[in-house]
Amino acid sequence: MEFTVSKTDLVRELSLSQGVVEKKTTIPILSNVLLEASSDRISLTATDLELGIRCSCPARVKKEGAGTVPARKLLDFVRLLPEGDITMKFLDNHWASITCGRSKTRIAGMSRESYPELPQMPAKIADIPVKTLSSLIARTQFAISMEESRFTLNGALLIIRPEGLIMVATDGHRLAFVQAGAGESGQVSQNYRALVPRKAMAELVKLADSEGADAVATFAGDDNHLFFQVGHRMLITRKLTGNFPDYERVLPKDHTLTARLQKEEIRAAIERVAQFADERSRAIRVQFTTNEVRIFSSSVEMGESEESVNSEYQGPDLEIGFNAQYLLDFLRVIAQDQVTFELKDQKSAGELRPAGEGVSDQYRYVVMPMRI
Amino acid sequence: MDAFFVSVEELFDPSLKGKPVVVGGRPNERGVVSAASYAARAFGVHSAMPLRTAYKLCPQAIFVDGHPERYRECSHQVYDVLRSFSPLVEMASIDEAYLDMTGTERLHGPPMRAAHKLHQKMKDQTKLNCSVGIAASRLVAKISSDQAKPNGVLWVIPGQEAAFLAPLDVRKVPGVGKVTEKNLHTLGIRKVGDLALLDDAFLEQRFGKWGMALAGKSRGLDAGGWFDSEIGAEEGPKSISHEHTFNEDTADMAQIEPTLARLCEMVGRRLREHGLHARTVQLKLRYSDFSTITRAQSISRATQLDTELFERIRELFRHNWKEGAGVRLLGVHVSGWADGEQQLDLMDEGRHEKWKQALAAADRMRDRFGESAVSLAAGLRGNFRERAHENPVGLPGKKK
Repeated sequence: MEFTVSKTDLVRELSLSQGVVEKKTTIPILSNVLLEASSDRISLTATDLELGIRCSCPARVKKEGAGTVPARKLLDFVRLLPEGDITMKFLDNHWASITCGRSKTRIAGMSRESYPELPQMPAKIADIPVKTLSSLIARTQFAISMEESRFTLNGALLIIRPEGLIMVATDGHRLAFVQAGAGESGQVSQNYRALVPRKAMAELVKLADSEGADAVATFAGDDNHLFFQVGHRMLITRKLTGNFPDYERVLPKDHTLTARLQKEEIRAAIERVAQFADERSRAIRVQFTTNEVRIFSSSVEMGESEESVNSEYQGPDLEIGFNAQYLLDFLRVIAQDQVTFELKDQKSAGELRPAGEGVSDQYRYVVMPMRI
Repeated sequence: MDAFFVSVEELFDPSLKGKPVVVGGRPNERGVVSAASYAARAFGVHSAMPLRTAYKLCPQAIFVDGHPERYRECSHQVYDVLRSFSPLVEMASIDEAYLDMTGTERLHGPPMRAAHKLHQKMKDQTKLNCSVGIAASRLVAKISSDQAKPNGVLWVIPGQEAAFLAPLDVRKVPGVGKVTEKNLHTLGIRKVGDLALLDDAFLEQRFGKWGMALAGKSRGLDAGGWFDSEIGAEEGPKSISHEHTFNEDTADMAQIEPTLARLCEMVGRRLREHGLHARTVQLKLRYSDFSTITRAQSISRATQLDTELFERIRELFRHNWKEGAGVRLLGVHVSGWADGEQQLDLMDEGRHEKWKQALAAADRMRDRFGESAVSLAAGLRGNFRERAHENPVGLPGKKK
């Protein structure tokens, strides 16, 4: 195999593979990127067996073929080359020579024979604007469980319906629910639901960022995999198996108390007060009183802090504990300026939403309190 | 307390009196000696020695199973007697305690009189013998109580500490075990007096911080680690663990999982006793060839529930066990206490609350009817005898 490619193209596509490539090399070839040259393009494939990405870019192909080289090393090196064309030629011993200007390098590679095959994309289920996809992810991914043992919670539930898309993530302590209306959800040809792993979500966002604002992802799924094709790039992920919790049962139906708050005010106040919360539990106390919400923290080693913000709150006084991080996660990602905080009592879940007609049902964030 | 476990066993079976008795299990069983009577000690039997070795040394000894519940019960009685002498009592182990007698002269009289009063009252109320060491530091009190055994009272008059300690073997110093003893012997140091003659700086250079503590100890001062804290300053445990050695190695899940469940119950019970919630759960697994692994997992919501501990431990076991390999020992260890605040669960809160109430009820039943009164179904087949240990001589003490 021999081809010539522009440095900019190669660096851009290689960068996308970095998040996928195995960092801990249990199977050595998984730290390699598979390069394939045919007609006027080269394609780059990376996988960790859970997640795979295939990208391509134009190239002048002198001799078709395929080979693999360490993905990290190749990117680190190519980045340092001067702008211009790079020629790669694979040798019989699976090494590749890289020439660019006055630089001549040989990089140790491995035969493509042992590189795993990625599955083929089945029939399309939907065309989804990448902007919508990445906005759903941004508003849910922080709620995904970091506990590996709770594997059904190590991703988000994606529901595809003609009426619109829904994404739900939870770690058992809080739950983020977002939906996109039919207008933003693109073309949907059938109902579908699947659990998308956390790592795939992160890579999808990167993929979306590298595309134009109007790009559309073609979505498909087979028994074990999900496919997202965006232009010349495709992300393939294994589905998470298992039963995602019944989120509709978790979404509260009977809040009695509502406080409306300025997002920036409450966010900034919590950020400051939380500096003096216990570092591990991150616990703060939130006190709802007429027209005011007060936040307190105290830690034996560091000190204590309190702050209050105005709020249209008319209910009885209520003091409730929360993990400050959980509240901030939500307040840092919502676009709207006003939020509502709905509560029932000290032991029941609280719910945060953007305030206002038409938006309050689009994003719901349920947080369990802490015992104080 | 003098030969505490054996003395308690004698209360229940007076025919044991004066005979060589080994508490801990049958002579052909795996496991170690929990305690030995003075008659058995004469044959070289001591606690922590394998039962089979004890049998070789003293085949005529009477081997009895340990009864941790009896020892705990008696230990509580001992504590009650001690509490009537001073408000500052620290149980260093099941059979050993420190009393701060400062300011009790008008109540109990001078040290010797107070000690004799205590000694007599202990005998009257518990029917058990004890030995009392009196000193100005905990370290010397500990050593002198050891020297006072059996059934004696010994007062080291302030100022005489160094003279009292000098002729004793270095091994008598709490904290000096086999290894330190050997290291000291290679330096030609055999008696505490030899140690006291050394330069502090030399000891520090040789043994680090621990050397400084050693230098202090040789002069009769409370120094280093546990001896630095005040009597009665409750620190609570840093971790809680239970282990079980199978009588025969096993690879049978029907035996392994119930054992893990039982260990989790024992750990959970102690967590609740101390009012603690653990964040880290650790499995200890020893194979037939003695190779041992420990595998830990952190949990986002700290727990004190047997069921939740068991879920984690079983998972750790299933992930890490070399399938089919014979298991010799299993252990469950928890640590990393969470503070008061507890994050509630979105989905499992109801179930969690119910288990909490159920286990609280189970604890009350165990308080009344004994530890085996009630058990998780999963742990029923894992019912093994609990073992208890007296405090080994070389250690300053361990919290219950």
